[in-house]
Amino acid sequence: MISLQSITGAKRAVLVLLAIVAAAFLVFPESRTGPLQMIGRPLVAVVAIPLRAVDAVNHGVDSVWGRYIALRRMGEDNLTLRQDLARLQEENIKLRETAAATDRLRALLELKEKTEYPTIAAQVIARDPTNWYRSVIINKGRREGLAADMGVVTPAGVVGRIVKVYDHLSVVLLINDRNNAVTGLVQRTRDEGIVEGTEKGLSQIKYLPLLSTVKVGDAVVTSGLAGGFPRGLPIGRITKIERREAELFLSAEIEPVSDFSKLEEVLIITAPRGTDELPANPFPMHPTAPSRRDGGEPR
Amino acid sequence: MKYLIYALLVPLLIPFQVLGFDRLSIGGIRPDLSLVAVSLIGLHMGEMEAVTVGAALGFTQDLLSGSLLWGNLCLKPLVGLLAGLARRNLVNLTMKFVFALLLALSIFSGSVMFLLKSLTGPGADFFAAARETILPQACYDAVLGTVVLMLMQRWGPARKSYTVITNE
Repeated sequence: MISLQSITGAKRAVLVLLAIVAAAFLVFPESRTGPLQMIGRPLVAVVAIPLRAVDAVNHGVDSVWGRYIALRRMGEDNLTLRQDLARLQEENIKLRETAAATDRLRALLELKEKTEYPTIAAQVIARDPTNWYRSVIINKGRREGLAADMGVVTPAGVVGRIVKVYDHLSVVLLINDRNNAVTGLVQRTRDEGIVEGTEKGLSQIKYLPLLSTVKVGDAVVTSGLAGGFPRGLPIGRITKIERREAELFLSAEIEPVSDFSKLEEVLIITAPRGTDELPANPFPMHPTAPSRRDGGEPR
Repeated sequence: MKYLIYALLVPLLIPFQVLGFDRLSIGGIRPDLSLVAVSLIGLHMGEMEAVTVGAALGFTQDLLSGSLLWGNLCLKPLVGLLAGLARRNLVNLTMKFVFALLLALSIFSGSVMFLLKSLTGPGADFFAAARETILPQACYDAVLGTVVLMLMQRWGPARKSYTVITNE
């Protein structure tokens, strides 16, 4: 305990004064502490620097500790949520796949109902085992009533023709294969030609009359004169016209309407001329319909 | 056991190629598993077995292909024969040799297939076909065959690999 006896009178007076001032500040109203705060600001500013630093470190430690504790608690929750997410993603993929298959099959069914010639639906199960031919293998064959040279279509248009038939399998040579040929017709000008595949995975119509007014964007359809297709099935749209000197005919490059890289279900026309009259065209070709360029041809 | 493997190889390899390897195609090009298998059989077992298996595999391939000719039926046994003849003149095989041999056999096979296709359809640019189909497939075949051989040697009895051309 401090003994006031040992302190000189002046000092004693100062101490008493300070005690009184301190007590006075404690009971003063808050507004009167302003001047003191003003005086203390520089000091606070100086003190604030290490304070913030320590606070930051403290927060960091708290955060790490908190996360560690939280992780320990939430690890199990996280695992469960991940499992749920994976399951839901899988379900989502399955549902999307089902929805896409439903759309495709609905389109195929609509086409089957619209057509007046008999058709058989089949599924594409594989592609050509070599890189040299553009063909697909379908899961229907002779036992289901298929035969060579029958035409194969999708709701988009012509796909190709059957070249080999087995009991329950058939090989379909796609229309963009160089060895395939179908008689075609430019829809607007009614000029006829032969549609063949090209090396680039597109098709071309050859032997058009030299004076034909065919132009880029014209639709090319089957002529129905030969082969397994009735008249008027869309083959593609003209993308380029080739006029070579000293040649008696025109040829034009066609972008096929069918996406050959995404073939899954097809219809096989079993009797294109089974009726006396030509069937109504179930494939109206709209001028504004988006055309497709196939990037990943089966080769 | 050997004949059982051959008997399984023929019906399984082509479906595996058209279904499994369809997903592994690079730029639309898939390796010719039949060619690789026949070459490796020729190099390991001799030309007779390679020719027999090659005929069976080539025939199966042609049955399921859009090809109107029987190109693979003729080519695969020939590839097996060439691989078998190469084996006759070698003491042992190095990976480099196998790679080069597969590359050459695949280029040969691809060129013949191009010519056969040209016989049944309109003419096409050979150099474009070489650039877009023959060479990429040959590289793919050679890499795949070499990898398969490496795996076979790893699992089989250890031996030093070197290539010596004999004077027989």
